[in-house]
Amino acid sequence: MPKSLKVSDISHPVEQLAQVRPDELMPLPPPYDKIEEQPGWKEISPAQRQKYEASLDGVVAVGVPIPATAEEEDRLVEGFLSGLKKLLTKENNWTFLQQLMLSIDHCARCQNCIETCPIYVSSGYNDIYRPTFRSDLFRRLVSKYIKPGGKYFGELKQGAIELNWRTVSRLLELAYRCTLCRRCAHACPIGLGNALITHELRKLFSMEFGYSPKEIHDKGSMLQLKVGSSTGMNRLAVMDNVEFIDEDMSDLTGLSVKSVWDKEGADVLLIHNAGEFISWPENPGAFALILEAAGISWTLSSELAGYDGINYGLWYDDAQFARVALLHAQAAKKLKVKKIVIGECGHAHKALTVIADRILTGDLSVPRESALVLLREIVMSGKLKLDPSRNDFPITLHDPCNMVRLMGIVEPQREILRKIAPKFREMEPHGVYNYCCGGGSGFAIMSPFNFQDWRLSVSGRMKLKQIVEAFADCPGPETPKYLCAPCSNCKGQIRDLFRYYGVWEKQRILYGGLVELIVNAMVDIKEPFIKWEFH
Amino acid sequence: MPKFEWQEVSIDVDEDGFIEDPALWNEQVALALASTEGVDALTEDHWKLINYLREYYAKFGIAPMIRKLCKETGYSLKEIYDLFPSGPAKGACKVAGLAKPTGCV
Repeated sequence: MPKSLKVSDISHPVEQLAQVRPDELMPLPPPYDKIEEQPGWKEISPAQRQKYEASLDGVVAVGVPIPATAEEEDRLVEGFLSGLKKLLTKENNWTFLQQLMLSIDHCARCQNCIETCPIYVSSGYNDIYRPTFRSDLFRRLVSKYIKPGGKYFGELKQGAIELNWRTVSRLLELAYRCTLCRRCAHACPIGLGNALITHELRKLFSMEFGYSPKEIHDKGSMLQLKVGSSTGMNRLAVMDNVEFIDEDMSDLTGLSVKSVWDKEGADVLLIHNAGEFISWPENPGAFALILEAAGISWTLSSELAGYDGINYGLWYDDAQFARVALLHAQAAKKLKVKKIVIGECGHAHKALTVIADRILTGDLSVPRESALVLLREIVMSGKLKLDPSRNDFPITLHDPCNMVRLMGIVEPQREILRKIAPKFREMEPHGVYNYCCGGGSGFAIMSPFNFQDWRLSVSGRMKLKQIVEAFADCPGPETPKYLCAPCSNCKGQIRDLFRYYGVWEKQRILYGGLVELIVNAMVDIKEPFIKWEFH
Repeated sequence: MPKFEWQEVSIDVDEDGFIEDPALWNEQVALALASTEGVDALTEDHWKLINYLREYYAKFGIAPMIRKLCKETGYSLKEIYDLFPSGPAKGACKVAGLAKPTGCV
């Protein structure tokens, strides 16, 4: 059992506050149960420790520099206080002020939420990852340093806390030990959000200091705003890729596949996560094939960001979020489409359909819909000739948190699977009680320092366990199995998890999206669409 | 930013060993980067892949899709892994001096 921590320990000048030890983590089911066979962890070197903040848990996600002078130390503290004040004023926090205030003022400390956190449980109940550790810390800081009279009564109300530069730089790392899956908010009797507090901390660090993981900001939202996609694809590159995908799909299926670009007045503007074009091209290819076969009037957009539905600002920065959401709406406006349909990407769902409501008002309020809903309509309409026996292998379903728990899109994907996958079985728990893949909130694309070891050993641990247990009746490699994960980010994390633990070699579990299974069931395609090759 | 040194080569690389400034790439750098990938010598097959990657990168500013790389160079994914044990993205692209892929890939 990891040693227990007090919230006030966060400011102590110890070399490292908490330890993550492989033998204390939640045990994995066979064949991953031998600790000595699990991949080792990369250690942060003494030289790196002198340079970057690694004193929270020996893991580095952001790599914020250690202050070199007393002035730099003061800057961290003063900047943090300035940012904290902004989070609590309506002029500066136009997105989440009300929810934040509720979460600050009304937590009854019942701790109902803590057992629901996959990171806390997977870590072997390590206090540093307890979802209320971070929230409690945040409340104490607000109570002591922001609320009127806090200097005298703040600690009496909420508990002891000392704000110094260590508190600040450790909090920054701690804001990147939660995937924002919101399972805890779901368990809270009054729906308060630890994830929301995590999000607001990330926002403070990005908007006040410019501190954020480079994969999400410099090489993420900034790149998308500059060239059109966080993958670095400009419009020429994406059009070249889609042309190749169309040809490849036509060869594979024997059907003519032709994606449509920039068609004015189309019913549907389909926006994928652009990572699909590069890493899982069969996914956008399958979409094109299905939409054509169903006679849907649809188009892709080659406008800046019009072909990349990602909006990483959702995870850490309201301004970046708003910039990208506006580009998505403008792409739809320009083409005068009836609605935007979002491909298999969870955070793009949340960003454009839910959170963007705050800015896409009036003229910019283009209807937005999940692809899962449209796909259900198509599959149930009978427009496609489907033979479920073509999917005659065990299939389980991963629920992306943003689509399912956040938006309540639970049944469309299941109705489809019940129709096309005779050996579909649920993993437990599922639906709105699902577990995050462990790659949520940007983790799937973050691998700096030793962060990848952490996200595959700790934040992804519960998901791996669930997947393995869902196939407990057919564990061996002699039975090929399919994990349907209709989200690009989840797929990236699952791919990395499977590689790390050797899941493909040991168990022959393939992962992929939902549309691939639909196309695989289509009687018009000449050979199986799903290739049993891991990639 | 880590410095990578090999014989006369000295370049800045990221934590995964990818070159920070692709403009500094040359054949000697390729040999140097290959040494980190367990590749001792660059054969004609290696160069065919490297050259394709570089031409594509010069045109589009990103690495090609893996399926496209296979189809247009004629090497199967397995053959690419035989040539570059870390695979096309982490192995071949690194040796060819491309920046590390970004986004949800």
